[in-house]
Amino acid sequence: MSSAVRRFGKAFLEMPLVVKIALVWLLFIVGAAIYSRLDRIFGQALPLQDPFYQPFLFGEAKPVEGPSGAHWLGTDVLSRDNLSRLLHGSWVSLIVAATVVVFGLVFGGTIGAFVGYTKGKVETLTMATLDVILAFPPLVLLLALVAVYKVRNLTMIALVFGVLGIPTYVRIARASTLSVASREFIQAAEAIGTKRMAILFREIIPNIMPALFAYALINAGFVIVVEGTLSYLGLSVQIPEPTWGNMINEGRRDIRQTILPIFWPGLFLTLSVVSLNLVGDWLQQRVAVRSSAL
Amino acid sequence: MLGKVIAIRTVRLIATLFAVSLLTFLMVEQLPGDPILAILPPEALDDLANIERIRKELRLDDPVLTRYFRWVGDALQGDLGKSYITDQPVSDAIKDRIPVTMELAFLATLMAAVLAIPIGAFSAYREGGYFDRAMSGFTTAALSIPGFLAGIFFIWLFTLKFNWLPSTGWNRITDKGLLANLKTAILPSSALALAPLAINARLIRADMIGTLKEDYVLSARAKGLRDRYILMRHALRPSSLTAITVFALQLGGLIGGTVVIETVFALPGLGTRLISGIYQRDVMMIQGITLFIATVYVVVNAMVDVLYVALDPRIRRQ
Repeated sequence: MSSAVRRFGKAFLEMPLVVKIALVWLLFIVGAAIYSRLDRIFGQALPLQDPFYQPFLFGEAKPVEGPSGAHWLGTDVLSRDNLSRLLHGSWVSLIVAATVVVFGLVFGGTIGAFVGYTKGKVETLTMATLDVILAFPPLVLLLALVAVYKVRNLTMIALVFGVLGIPTYVRIARASTLSVASREFIQAAEAIGTKRMAILFREIIPNIMPALFAYALINAGFVIVVEGTLSYLGLSVQIPEPTWGNMINEGRRDIRQTILPIFWPGLFLTLSVVSLNLVGDWLQQRVAVRSSAL
Repeated sequence: MLGKVIAIRTVRLIATLFAVSLLTFLMVEQLPGDPILAILPPEALDDLANIERIRKELRLDDPVLTRYFRWVGDALQGDLGKSYITDQPVSDAIKDRIPVTMELAFLATLMAAVLAIPIGAFSAYREGGYFDRAMSGFTTAALSIPGFLAGIFFIWLFTLKFNWLPSTGWNRITDKGLLANLKTAILPSSALALAPLAINARLIRADMIGTLKEDYVLSARAKGLRDRYILMRHALRPSSLTAITVFALQLGGLIGGTVVIETVFALPGLGTRLISGIYQRDVMMIQGITLFIATVYVVVNAMVDVLYVALDPRIRRQ
């Protein structure tokens, strides 16, 4: 355990400054997302944890407020605290992105490695099926599914994203399996009579995972954008539950007076995607160097 | 050789289209419960006689596969059924809306291509210099900003702050002329062009860094040719093949990508019709437009594959 921490520490020090900042931002978002749900454990709201709080009765709404001591990032059109809502919304982005990554690595990684290693008819059939799903523009397929199945809560949205995300992971896992499977150490394992499934799980999958994980980070950024888009259209998690996307949508009504209610969620969204891209790119380069030395 | 590629690609294209249409059809048909519940708006469900009439009209009692083939058969003849919410035939809606979507996608592809070439070329020429580093920052940002956010930002900046351009609405070329049309098209297509522009600039840069290390570039330099001439004539040409295929692929992708941008700018395109169809639960419209967009996407991608082979003599000869 301590050696893993030390290895991570060493890797962190080797990162360029922007990548370090990006990683810190991502950790902040993960922390914020978890913090925003802590009231479920403590049974009472902590500071910055009341995204639905409206300090007025109907007809008494105050105009949008700028940043102040009481509301660090100001308030929105319904006088709700922007920062609370942003933290709360990061949970939605985090869960959707994490579901896609976990589904992709676990199911996509295993399926891709399996068909890439065993080849044959199963491979042809699997890849052909996936090609059909990949033949749709991603957003359009997602829109059609969400529309038809009328799914609008976090569990369903995360599942739909998770399942639709699998095909690209399968493709990438299969491609890297094809190159790993031709290496000498696999031939050696085969020659001494190791069972094929053991080779698959002990030799191949551990070797394709770093590259797949680097892709997963970049893919998570894409997923956050698509979820934000869907939220913006009002077709993801429903209001009053805040998401970055639906905060931007709500902020549009007041764009003539102030852009702040759009600016903050837009900033959170963009910074998170930039960070995922930067860390993902960095990891991809590292993995490429490592695998060329393998 | 080219003929064979086209033949193989056509067979694959037909198979993919078949599967895509089946998936689109089943997405709706395999909903739990009576399909009539999905097709008709809730307020029309009280009228039992009407329900029976539509059930007959659509022959909903036939087996699923029979109805699928009828749907596809009709679609091939340009009939995608009609909306049971607005009574408009789906194909009319598509015909009505497609010019806007096509123009946006085309303009965005054009902008992304034309701007990416000098940016990518100059970044490669001064690799690691100030311009290159600034551009690398720009491309990272452009790839990370969601299109709809860029659109809203453009509206805020160019309409509300500077009051240069209209934020919403669409002038048809046929009604108001090209200039008025471009005024309404420039902001949405710029928002749409950001991400492909970044991808293209990166691609051209990476490709040209490789080309600039070739011996023939060195010999052109030794001959004393001007840098700009070498860059455009000797280095860009071999890179243009990859670039053209990527540009064409983007055109296909952008036809789906305009959906959100059209909504942000409230443009009368295919995307806004799809979204309004979703809000109204207009199943026939959703099904039809999804099939249409997916078909365009698949066909364009197949054509690009063939184009690539046709353009590159090295692949053709193999």
